[in-house]
This record gives sequence, C-alpha cells and structure tokens, in this order.
Amino acid sequence: MNSHRLTPYLFILPALAVYGLFVAFPILDSFRMSLLHWESPLLPPEFCGLDNFRLLASDHVFWRALGHNLLLLVGSLLVQLPLAILLAFLLYYPTVGRTLFRTAFFAPMVMPTAAVAVLWQYVYEPGNGLLTSLLRMTIDPDFSHAWLADPKTAPLWIFVTICWQYTGFHTVLMMAGLSSIPTECFEAARIDGANEWQVCWHVALPALRPTIAVSATLSIVGSLKYFDLVYLMAGGLPEASREVLATYIYRLAFDQNQGRYGYGSAVAVLLFLVALAIVVPLQARRLLNRSGEERAAGSSRGRAA
Amino acid sequence: MKKFTCRHLVFFCLRHAVLAGFLLATAYPLVWMAMTAFRTEGDAQARPLGLPQQWVMTNLAEVLRSGEFSSAYANSLMLCSASVAIAVVLAALAAFAFAQLRFRGSHVLFLLFLVGMMIPVHVTLIPLNRLLGVDGLGIKGGLVALAGPYIGFALPISILILRGAFAALPPDLLDASRVDGCSAWGVFRHVALPLSRPALATVVIFNFLTMWNEFAFALTLLGPGCETLPLALTRFKGEHDIQITQTSAALVLVVIPLIIVYVFAQKHIIRGLTAGAVKE
Repeated sequence: MNSHRLTPYLFILPALAVYGLFVAFPILDSFRMSLLHWESPLLPPEFCGLDNFRLLASDHVFWRALGHNLLLLVGSLLVQLPLAILLAFLLYYPTVGRTLFRTAFFAPMVMPTAAVAVLWQYVYEPGNGLLTSLLRMTIDPDFSHAWLADPKTAPLWIFVTICWQYTGFHTVLMMAGLSSIPTECFEAARIDGANEWQVCWHVALPALRPTIAVSATLSIVGSLKYFDLVYLMAGGLPEASREVLATYIYRLAFDQNQGRYGYGSAVAVLLFLVALAIVVPLQARRLLNRSGEERAAGSSRGRAA
Repeated sequence: MKKFTCRHLVFFCLRHAVLAGFLLATAYPLVWMAMTAFRTEGDAQARPLGLPQQWVMTNLAEVLRSGEFSSAYANSLMLCSASVAIAVVLAALAAFAFAQLRFRGSHVLFLLFLVGMMIPVHVTLIPLNRLLGVDGLGIKGGLVALAGPYIGFALPISILILRGAFAALPPDLLDASRVDGCSAWGVFRHVALPLSRPALATVVIFNFLTMWNEFAFALTLLGPGCETLPLALTRFKGEHDIQITQTSAALVLVVIPLIIVYVFAQKHIIRGLTAGAVKE
C-alpha cells in the first residue's frame, strides 16, 4: 500500500493505548504487587520478596481452589461434551421442532451468569425451591435438604448448574460441525452395510473431531474463568470448599475489606501462569501453522514478483 | 426412500423422548421462574409448582417502582452502548492494519492482543482497583470506571473477528481503490468498513451481550448507589431473599430483553462465542 511507513502504527495506536493501560499494564502490575505486603489497606506496602508465594505453597485454601478449577475442567470435558455430542446426533435426524430444541438448549448461555446463579439458588432453595418441591411431590412429602449448604455435595450441585448453562452451547457447536460433514460420507457407509450405530460411531464421530477440539479448547480456557456462579452460589460454604482461584483473589482483596492486595496478587500471578501453561500448548500449533502459512504465502508472492 | 419400519418408529419416538427430557430440564427452571413472577407470595409458598392460581402483575410493578432497577437499566444501557461504540472503532482500526497493512512487529503485537482473550480477566481485578482508585485515575466508584476494562477486554476478540473479515476482502477491489488514489484511511473508510457489515454486527452484538452480563468488574469497581443490571439483581436478591415472587420478577425483567435479542441475533452470538477457538 502506497502510504507512509508510520500509517499502520497510527491505525493500531488507539487500540494499543487502551489495551495497554487497562489490560497489559494491570497484568504486569500484578506481578509487581505480588512482591509486596500490606500490613493494612491504609498503610503503604512493604517489599517482601517471594514471601507471598512461600505462604501460598502451604495455603490449603489456595490448593483446594486450584483443585476446584481442575475438577471443573475435567468435569466439563467428561459431562458437557459427551452430552452435547449425543444431543447433536439425536437432532441430526429429521426432528419435529428442531429449531425449538436448538433455541431452547442455547438460551441459558445468553443469560447473565449472575441471573443464572440467582435462578438456581431458588431451584436449590431448601423450603419451597423447585427441586425440593419436585421431590416432595414425587417421593417424600416431608423432604428437605439444604442443597447449597453441605460442603461435600454443594460443589456438585453448582456443577450441575454450570452444565445447565453450557451444554446447550456445545450442542449448537456440534450441530454446526455435524451439518458441515458431507452427507455422502454417511450414505456411503450405509450402502456398505453399516447400521446407524456404526455410522455414528465410526463415521460421524471421527469426522466431528475438529469441532470437538474447538469445544474442548473453549471448555478448558473457560474453566479458569469461573467467578460469578461460584461466588454467588457457594458463598454459604466454609472457606476451603467454596473457592475457585478467581473468587479467592476477589475475597482476599475485597471481601470485608480484607485488603490483602499483595497476597491476592500472588494468587493472580499464579492464575495467569496456569492460564498460559494451559493455553499455549493448545494454541501453539495453530499459531505456528498460521505463521508458517503466511511465510509460505509471502515467499510465493516474492517469487511471482 | 427407505421403507418406514417398526424399528424406525421406535427410534423416532425414543429420540424425541430423550430430547424432550432435556428440553424440560433446560426450559422448566426458566418457565418456573417466569410463572413465579406472576404468583402471589402465598401461592408461591403453598403450591410452587404448576400454574399460578391467580396471575398478578403486582410483583413486576413493585420491582419497577422501587427505582433501583430502572436506574440500573439506564446505567447498563449507557455504559454498554458507549463502551461498545468505542471498542468497535478502536478494534476496526487495529484489525485493518493487521489484515491489510504490512509493518514491523505486527506479529508480536497481534499475539499481545490475543493474550487478553485467553487469560481470566480476574487476574487484573486488584491492579485495576488500584489504577482506577484514588492513587491512580481516581474514577473508581462511577460507571466511567468500568468503560476502560470493558473496552480493553473487548478488543482482542473484536480484532480477531474483524481481522478475519478484512483479510477476506476481495484483493482486486482493494487494488482498484488504491490505483484510484485511495489512501490507507480511504480504503478503510470507504471499502473495508462498508463491506464488513456482518462482521461488525457480530462484534457489536457479542460485545454488548458480554458487557451487559459482566459481573466481576462491576462488583469490584462500582461504589454504593451505582449499579449495573447483574449487580442490581444480586443485591435485590440479597435484600428480598424471602420474597421469591419479587426476585423472580426482577429476574424476568433482566432476562426478557436478552431472550428477545437472542432470538433475533442467534447467529451473531454463536459466531462471537466461538471466534476464540475456530481455526482460521
């Protein structure tokens, strides 16, 4: 393009300035703050080296929080994805009201997670919540259970809510993936004598692999970003049972004016590193591929010129 | 056409039964919530399931009259419209450079932007609280405080989507406009933008939805008396915990506009949600 050498930078500058100030700088700043200790939120901080990280190593709430994030990751992959694939397969055949199903399955995904949390707190309400009322009607008229108060099982019920919100999203992804597979593949298999089960298992599922990879990537990246649901629904549990990393950061720094900014930043730094450690391997191949393609495109262009 | 056999019929029925089961599990909590919003409190306590004995509008009216909600509505609307508008302009400019202009460091800069999409935003809560607080910019507590982080974190996904759209523009057209003497700005303004309306719509709708639903920044950075809709909803729940009908009414007021947007803009929302992982 016949323009000044600086032009591209002028195009980028406004975005870079905002991004730098409100995203990149805070990330770097959290590294700096993780080395500080606040005696109180009102006093100036003191430099304390890696003390915060040493403290973290023996902080069982932190390890439990990290464990909860990893459990959510594994649980999402093992529950939401298979369910989504099943539903997408079922919907692939001629279905009465397919659009209705798809629209309804996806709907929870557009709700604010805060609204989902409020809704499900009422579903799990011990007195006259939806679940309790259903069980009273069907099984035991005197049934009562404080779903979100028992530290052993409450995380499971929160996970059910998470599945309620996200499974439909993965289903829609899988439906799109399935519909992009040429139907000739299925026809050919049927003509070769495969039954429907074999068509699904041996033809459709392998062809769906790229979509499954996308779903899994989103699921994995997303599993570190849980905050709203856990913060709002697990609030009544003891400290060690209620946290994921993001909520722990928030509570350390802001809950009841704790003001543990340094220690909270140390958790944030670790969350950042965990996120990078998970994302980079997932995306590295894609990024390498892309720059490889661009290089190839560039060199062929050079040859043509 | 294959013959319609008994086995087909069984499969057909079984399939629809399973789907209907999942539909019930997904939709019933929402329907239940909507119906609770129209019950009397006594009805909700005595017969929480089934149709309301008597449909009443008092809960919705009560929530709207309390004032918190209407001001939260106005806040969310203002904040999200302004932030989306700015984010889209900034992202479009940057995406155009990444897609159509060659310059040193473009790769590194693009990767830098992508990082913001992959990391949990909560990493920045504590430093942003300091940056926006009295020791920094001093705007913590008001709506303005949220605009910066909202725009900043909207940029990566927006740039990614728009870069894809701008890179897919027909090269002949771009060459032609350059031959006609268009500057980079001219190409951007008169060719790239008008031809990328679908991608721009995706970016606008998706970011609006994300900001409208955002909770963690609002919880941390807003002061008392200034609320966005999700924050107002959770506070409302805290204050009216026992009155399930009123909280349900509040929920309905939050969710209804979203469902309407969703029904009309499903395609854009899905495209935005998947942009982060789809191979280019």
